[in-house]
Amino acid sequence: MTSALLYLRLTSLANLVMHRIRRLKQPKYVMGTVAAIAYFYFFVGRRFGQAMASSGPMMPATMSTFATMGICILLTVVGLLRLGFAWASPTATPGFRFSEAEIAFLFPAPIPRKTLIHYRLLSAQLAILFTSVLIAVVFNRSGFMGSNRVMRALGWWVILATFDLHLNGTNLLLHRLKETSPRYVMWRVLVVGGIILYAGAILWSVCSLVGNLATFADMSSGSMDRATDALAREPLFHWLTLPLSILFGPYAATSARGFAVAMVPALLLLVINYRWVLNTEARFEEGSIAIAEKRAAAKAAAQRGEIPRLSTAKQKERSGPFPLAPTGLPEVAFLWKNLLSMRSSVFSRRAFFILFGIVGGLSMSFGPMLARHSVSPNADVIRHMVVIMCAIVSGYTVFLGPQLARQDLRSDLPNADLLKTYPMEGWKLALGELLAPTVLLSVILWCAILISAILVDSSGEIEWLTTGVRLTFIVCLGFAAPLLCLIQLIVPNSIMVLFPSWYQSSRSRSAGIEMFGQRLIFGFVQMFFALTVVLPAVGFAALVFFCSKWLIGISPAVVLATLAIVPMLGGEVAVGLWFLGDRFEKFDLTAESR
Amino acid sequence: MIEVEALTKRYGDFTAVKNLSFSVRPGEVLGLVGPNGAGKTSTLRCLAGIIPASSGRVTVAGHDLATDPVAAKRELAFFPDEPRLFEYLSVRQHLTFVARVYGVADYEKIAVPLLEELELSDKADVLPAELSRGMKQKLVIACGLLHSPKVMFFDEPLTGLDPLGIRRMKDSIMRRSKEGAAIVLSSHLLHLLQEVCTHVLILKKGEKVADGTLSDVAAKFSNGEANVSLEEIFIRATGGSET
Repeated sequence: MTSALLYLRLTSLANLVMHRIRRLKQPKYVMGTVAAIAYFYFFVGRRFGQAMASSGPMMPATMSTFATMGICILLTVVGLLRLGFAWASPTATPGFRFSEAEIAFLFPAPIPRKTLIHYRLLSAQLAILFTSVLIAVVFNRSGFMGSNRVMRALGWWVILATFDLHLNGTNLLLHRLKETSPRYVMWRVLVVGGIILYAGAILWSVCSLVGNLATFADMSSGSMDRATDALAREPLFHWLTLPLSILFGPYAATSARGFAVAMVPALLLLVINYRWVLNTEARFEEGSIAIAEKRAAAKAAAQRGEIPRLSTAKQKERSGPFPLAPTGLPEVAFLWKNLLSMRSSVFSRRAFFILFGIVGGLSMSFGPMLARHSVSPNADVIRHMVVIMCAIVSGYTVFLGPQLARQDLRSDLPNADLLKTYPMEGWKLALGELLAPTVLLSVILWCAILISAILVDSSGEIEWLTTGVRLTFIVCLGFAAPLLCLIQLIVPNSIMVLFPSWYQSSRSRSAGIEMFGQRLIFGFVQMFFALTVVLPAVGFAALVFFCSKWLIGISPAVVLATLAIVPMLGGEVAVGLWFLGDRFEKFDLTAESR
Repeated sequence: MIEVEALTKRYGDFTAVKNLSFSVRPGEVLGLVGPNGAGKTSTLRCLAGIIPASSGRVTVAGHDLATDPVAAKRELAFFPDEPRLFEYLSVRQHLTFVARVYGVADYEKIAVPLLEELELSDKADVLPAELSRGMKQKLVIACGLLHSPKVMFFDEPLTGLDPLGIRRMKDSIMRRSKEGAAIVLSSHLLHLLQEVCTHVLILKKGEKVADGTLSDVAAKFSNGEANVSLEEIFIRATGGSET
């Protein structure tokens, strides 16, 4: 039986590789592959090769104790939240991730239950190992996390595999309790209470670390490491986090010998969880079928160009974001529709729960530190950090936001025929479709601008940065932000109508290096067009600002520069909308499939 | 109401519709028939302004679809064979949205009886995921009828409907035509065409084989025989083979 299952895995893998090779006949896959290989060569492989070839270490061999502890605490918070959620809101039917074909062929076959679970658990390890290697390669690239990728990858694998097994075991145990124990609810309440207490105790210990940190005059890495070491020596913290220390041991190891020593108890913990899953007598078949159906439906939805729904929860009607009058600009109807769909698909109750948990956890961890530092000389350091964070958020919002906020023509691609029957000019339809993501991204930018303008140089060292100048910056940047967002959104939507087959394949959930490359090309094109369109306007505005500020002062110069840039961006938006609308009117998806 | 002159639709080297001309007057129901791949859906999609024609001219309610598409589209409704709905809009919200797009000020006066007629009143607040395929089809119809279109295009209108739904759909089409709407419908169900259509247009390989009233077309292909069924006429007209 094992040989048959092994044959299934290996043959499937070989055929998958052959399929990927064969589809390289199509230019879009070839170009994707070339782009991905180039990326890995220039950004990962070459550096790795240089690191291996050089006599001395290019990057620090180990990361600081503080950074290691920080990552471990973050992983613990996420893990405990996930585990707490599993106990608080158990899945109706637990199961494993079998494919529909595996269910059709293997479930009715004379295969022992334990063999099926073995097969699934071992198959999952390959995917987990791949993810671990990817995390180690990507995060080790900058040297932030030390240079030993193999140790890091195996460390990640131990963490992810053990947690995956533990979660599977938890789900099966919960199902078994539900079927056999009259105290099912009581057990759940007790365990959730225990998790909260445990998390609270760890957070309380971490707060003492934060307290220690606050006693240091500077926030240098040496000081942080000393504070972390002090925390690690605390008996309460040590015993509380013993299982976690075992789990994170290989990941945090700083030498090969330390890694080998840490691996022994970590692997033991993994095996214990494996045996637990294997020996928990609970039905998993119905759950596995439900998971397979859900995944197949999500895959089919992605291939049709729709947004896949991964949740099995019943969708409910939501009230509109604002009352929609039956007459008026039809573009507003699209804003209304897309905001409604955005709320339903993005801002689910579960998302709020997770976000609340993370924000709450971080606030409890770092709140005391921020409170103490707000009146100390380190206040400026923290304010600067917040301003830098705002700048990073703004950058991501402008460049990455349009890839994530997709409630526009891209999400309405399956309804293209219907949209084209509406009595609207193409550019109006395009504008209407783009309004919702523009509003979302603009609000994020406005918040970042507002916070930055308030916090930057709040001690008043820069003379010219008066309240009036700050207000002028807020108003002027706030005025230009929606136009910038619109331009950024026009680009991916135009790519979709110009190259629908490329777009469709990149939207599908198929994996592979060539798909990664295709997404890279899309990202590059987005960036290139954005810079081509925005840079001339920004350059002109900068020229106007620097030439005029000597004559009329800073605030009027900012206003003048805004008056210069807004018509340019507005003109570019108008041309972009006209182009997008025109292409959409002529767009025929059926022609692409011929 | 609908004037089509020398309509041609090409996809690269392939010509889906060749030099097609016909007209539909108010109150007429034109049945578009033909084998698979004959160009029915391409024709309907060109007439509804979904895809541009490669050449030729289409006029809807006096408005040229190429030069004044917005005015033309204000007068028409297209009902696709596959109901495509917005995932996160409830039945009622679909109607609100469509009302705004077409600027139907008093849409609630139309929507309420429409939902009752289509038996969707009790589903007004549910999302499309909870509707059966037939109900989704009904919602598409409700959305299409909300702005009281003068011209309607149906692509396989009976697909997915139960027998009662089929009966209601046929009644609805005939009532709208009696009220003065010009209707074009494409279907493989010849008995539907026989019951509902006043005129028929037979397509083969994108070209018109015959058009006119049912009796005109029957006379053309009956070879003098009496009581020849539409099915027999269809087989004779298309040569009994696909495309």
